[in-house]
Amino acid sequence: MKLSLQWLSEYVALDGITPAELADKLVNIGFEVEEIVYTGKGIERVVTGKILDIKKHPDADKLRVCMVDVGTEITTIVTGAQNVQTGDFVPVALDGALLPNGKTINAAPLRGVMSYGMLCSGAELGIDNNVIKGAEENGILILPETEIGKDIRELLRLNDWILDVSVTANRPDCQSVYGMAREVAAVLGRKRKPLSLKYKTVPCDCTPTVKISNTACTRYTCRVIKDVKIQQSPQWMRDRLRSVGVRPINNVVDITNYVLFEVGQPLHAFDTSYVSDLGIIVRSAQAGEKITTLDSHTYTLTNEMLVIADKEKALAVAGVMGGEYSGINEQTQSVLLESAGFAKGSVRATSRALGLRSDSSARYEKGVDAMSVDMGRERALALFDQLKAGKVTDAFAEEIRVPTQTKTIKTSAKKICDLLGIEIKQSVIAKILKALDFVVQTDGDSLNVDVPAFREDIDNYTDLAEEVIRYYGYDNLQSTFLPTAKTTAGGEDIRLKNLNLVKACACGVGAYEINTFSFYGKKAADKLNLPSDSELRNQIEILNPLGEEYSLMRTQLVSNMLNVAALNISRKNTCFRLFEVGKTYFPKALPLTELPDERDTLCLAFAGESESFYTIKAAALDILGKFAIKPERIEYTNKPYLHPGIGCDFFNAEDAIVCSLGKLHPAVAKNYGISIPVYICEIYLHTFIQKEIPLVRFEPLPKYQEVDRDLAVVVRMDIPVGAILKSVRAADTLCVRADLFDIYTGEQIDKGYKSVALSLGLSAPDRTLNDKDITTAMQKILSALEEQFDAKLRL
Amino acid sequence: MEEKVKQLTEETVSAIAACNTTAALNDVRVKILGKSGALTALLRNMKDLPPEQRPEAGKIVNVAREKLESAFSDRQDELLRIESEKRMREERIDITIDEHIPLSGGLHPLTQVRNRIVEFFTSLGFVIADSPEIETDYYNFEALNIPADHPAREMQDTFFVTDTILLRSQTSAGQIRMMEKVKPPLKMLSPGRVFRADEADATHTPVFHQIEGLVVDKGITMCDLKGILDLFAQKFFSKSTRTRFRPSYFPFTEPSVEVDASCHRCGGKGCNVCKGTGWIEIMGAGMVNRNVLANCGIDPDEYTGFAFGCGLDRITSIIHGITDARIPFENDIRFLKQFR
Repeated sequence: MKLSLQWLSEYVALDGITPAELADKLVNIGFEVEEIVYTGKGIERVVTGKILDIKKHPDADKLRVCMVDVGTEITTIVTGAQNVQTGDFVPVALDGALLPNGKTINAAPLRGVMSYGMLCSGAELGIDNNVIKGAEENGILILPETEIGKDIRELLRLNDWILDVSVTANRPDCQSVYGMAREVAAVLGRKRKPLSLKYKTVPCDCTPTVKISNTACTRYTCRVIKDVKIQQSPQWMRDRLRSVGVRPINNVVDITNYVLFEVGQPLHAFDTSYVSDLGIIVRSAQAGEKITTLDSHTYTLTNEMLVIADKEKALAVAGVMGGEYSGINEQTQSVLLESAGFAKGSVRATSRALGLRSDSSARYEKGVDAMSVDMGRERALALFDQLKAGKVTDAFAEEIRVPTQTKTIKTSAKKICDLLGIEIKQSVIAKILKALDFVVQTDGDSLNVDVPAFREDIDNYTDLAEEVIRYYGYDNLQSTFLPTAKTTAGGEDIRLKNLNLVKACACGVGAYEINTFSFYGKKAADKLNLPSDSELRNQIEILNPLGEEYSLMRTQLVSNMLNVAALNISRKNTCFRLFEVGKTYFPKALPLTELPDERDTLCLAFAGESESFYTIKAAALDILGKFAIKPERIEYTNKPYLHPGIGCDFFNAEDAIVCSLGKLHPAVAKNYGISIPVYICEIYLHTFIQKEIPLVRFEPLPKYQEVDRDLAVVVRMDIPVGAILKSVRAADTLCVRADLFDIYTGEQIDKGYKSVALSLGLSAPDRTLNDKDITTAMQKILSALEEQFDAKLRL
Repeated sequence: MEEKVKQLTEETVSAIAACNTTAALNDVRVKILGKSGALTALLRNMKDLPPEQRPEAGKIVNVAREKLESAFSDRQDELLRIESEKRMREERIDITIDEHIPLSGGLHPLTQVRNRIVEFFTSLGFVIADSPEIETDYYNFEALNIPADHPAREMQDTFFVTDTILLRSQTSAGQIRMMEKVKPPLKMLSPGRVFRADEADATHTPVFHQIEGLVVDKGITMCDLKGILDLFAQKFFSKSTRTRFRPSYFPFTEPSVEVDASCHRCGGKGCNVCKGTGWIEIMGAGMVNRNVLANCGIDPDEYTGFAFGCGLDRITSIIHGITDARIPFENDIRFLKQFR
């Protein structure tokens, strides 16, 4: 909220305190000050001057040389403007002057004639006709006769300070100059001057009526003002409105805006000639009912919206904007002034649904208290009287639908102090509350506190504790360390611990962790080649996404990982190991009727010259191994985004896939603009992340030396080495180790066959093996291979 | 005889010294001490001496032999050392070359900072708990004293999935779930991912992370809140870090405060990190609102508590000097490697 200190000073004396000091005090009582702005900011060394003489420039037809009296001296200024004449009073930017557009003015020769400054236009001073007449003229701003050498900021009244105060949502009562004056008076310990609410009334032969048929309107009051003269409002009012960013229109509109900012009460002025029988009806709109508002747009309403109507038609969207038809205009002679209370939720919903916002709706959405309805109206009537904008009549009507409730809180200083943890005297507490308009009665230890009607945020003693401590000062709190609390056992649960381990393992295989958004766009599924019936297409959709590309909750981490991979590759980072641990979201039904499954998933991506299917497979097995997970079965992958011949799925004992990995499918790589080989691995952590890792049981180390033997067999090309190794290990219990050390094809090996060379380790737990043991075991192994794979010993 | 031995010894000693390789040395050794070597021949010739001279001569030859054996052995050791040194000189490699193989990777800076914070509060007996990221309106708003028409709902534009299901906009939702299940004494911390409909810019991302803490027990005061946060700020920033409270407003706490820490960069004097104020806003906090306790079935007349919450992304950016909130979500490997 923009707070003009000049306006504020009408209600609290601010002498002896700088804007910065005031801002500090406001911060300490809970009002953050975002910015302190001087209205004359950006204008320096610009003074009033009088043109004494004008000559033609000797060398330029379009330039004129002026002798200007600027008070301290008579100086030469060259100008291109044609609208100045001898004897004119003008704003003069002196040598070294600063203008609001950031320009500095320096003495410099213009076509050979020294110019010691510049004459300014209204635009160059950043002002319009509301500041001074003629400011919008094309040419130099001609001032009325004035003292010479005077700072232009003073003349133009650009000498106010504006604090941009952020008011928290619980304090709608401070969304106005007068509301802030309460707090400022309390914090400075100064008196607050009352609002001027005095006006004379004249009789009126009309009788307005009000009927409220919906409790979204808490109260509605209105008054008739006759003999209205629409004209410009006085300079001081226009200045104040301008200082808070409101464009002055005419006296009636300006009064309503002025009261909105001064008291915080939105008002609306109807032309009485358009209100049938002066009979105001506050009702729900009919579905499909149309209204054209002051901004000349026509809106179609629903029956959840509230309108102000007469017996024939809607006159205004309640609290949001008036209708064009019933608004005041140059011919308006008589005004029905509305001051009402509307439920904030109702105004917000209507404003949102129509896409229509106004200062009024913004104010109602924050909450307007019951007191300001009367106060705002009375203040406006006083201003009508003061400005002679019209004659206030005694024609008044109101309906109070939701009566104001007075709240009394019974508590004690002890309760307040117990919550805060420090001792504050009862008398100090009472003094702080009284300064904020609370009515406090003490009775022994107990405090009876009547809450002023504008403080709808105050419900119980904890709210009072906040009022007390923000004025008493948070710096008075002492640090204590839970002297009354019980000891508790802390720590992460099993899932979080396991997730930490997953991340540590992923780092252990050389990967760097990434963090991506939890959503992606509708194209993500297509880019991964997912078939139309894929489970991964059952995605939860956000109703109000930031954009299409952020609209679906992810069912896999691959899409975002590939975006990151593509970004890195495009930046010439072509060698990387990355991982992400994140949730994927699986709905039980769509649209959601209950919360979805949130499944923890790990995704790895490897790229670089030394990477292959086997490096990422080794990494996956290493990580799974840390969780004692041994894949029961391995198959060529059915993931549509992986290369079907260079990718696999691991199955667990329950025959569920725990991991899929492989080379990125070339078509998918193309979709992401990835031109180098990338290997992807997903581990479906949710299949095991909630389980404790089984405790390791020690196995005695072998006592007897292991015997090494090599074995090379020739088998058909399509026989998987994994199957051969499994068969070797199973052939004889003496075989405790079997590793592949070479695969050979080429000379001496028939086409369609390969030679597989294995390194075997043989040992027994209870003895050293003799030659016979070894020969028998090797024979058994070879027989098994012959039988199962038609293998031939390679000699 | 004695002369001969002496001469041979002298000749051999200089021959040994002249040997530059173990092979040459061995050749000399064979020539002198071998089966048909010169000294061996002298010993063999002793049988030609008169018997009374033999013991004396034998002694002379044996002394000479021992002397030469020792000379050979010393020279052998020396030559081995020289040869080994030569070999190692030849084996010398360029030690300035780096091999690029993936060794250990690294955690994302957000995870590292999260882990530091979690570690601190775990040590104080806080339970760390996670809760759903897709939440109901009730847990995200209603139970936290933010009813349907409350202005706070305006403050945080939330992503909705249905009328009543949303992407949680604050991790406080998890605290309600915990308080429903676990009764005081309770100390908990809920780190997690949250969502708000803010367009990404230098200070906002629609996805970010919060860490919220909660303590509920008998007699908990605002001074306890101050005590815990002071200690946290000291452990997290530096020993000399101070905190200050400024009044603020959150629907789920009363009184509510913003918590500033004295600037870790300038120590409170004012610099560009703290925009000249000497203070950096690090979290929001307050005493748990009575309605929130009551909503969770905890008697607010018997128990009080405090809660605090901070933006993990913001804290991470502050301590590491990350200038744009979008950078950590971009995941350029050159960024990630800075935090290894």
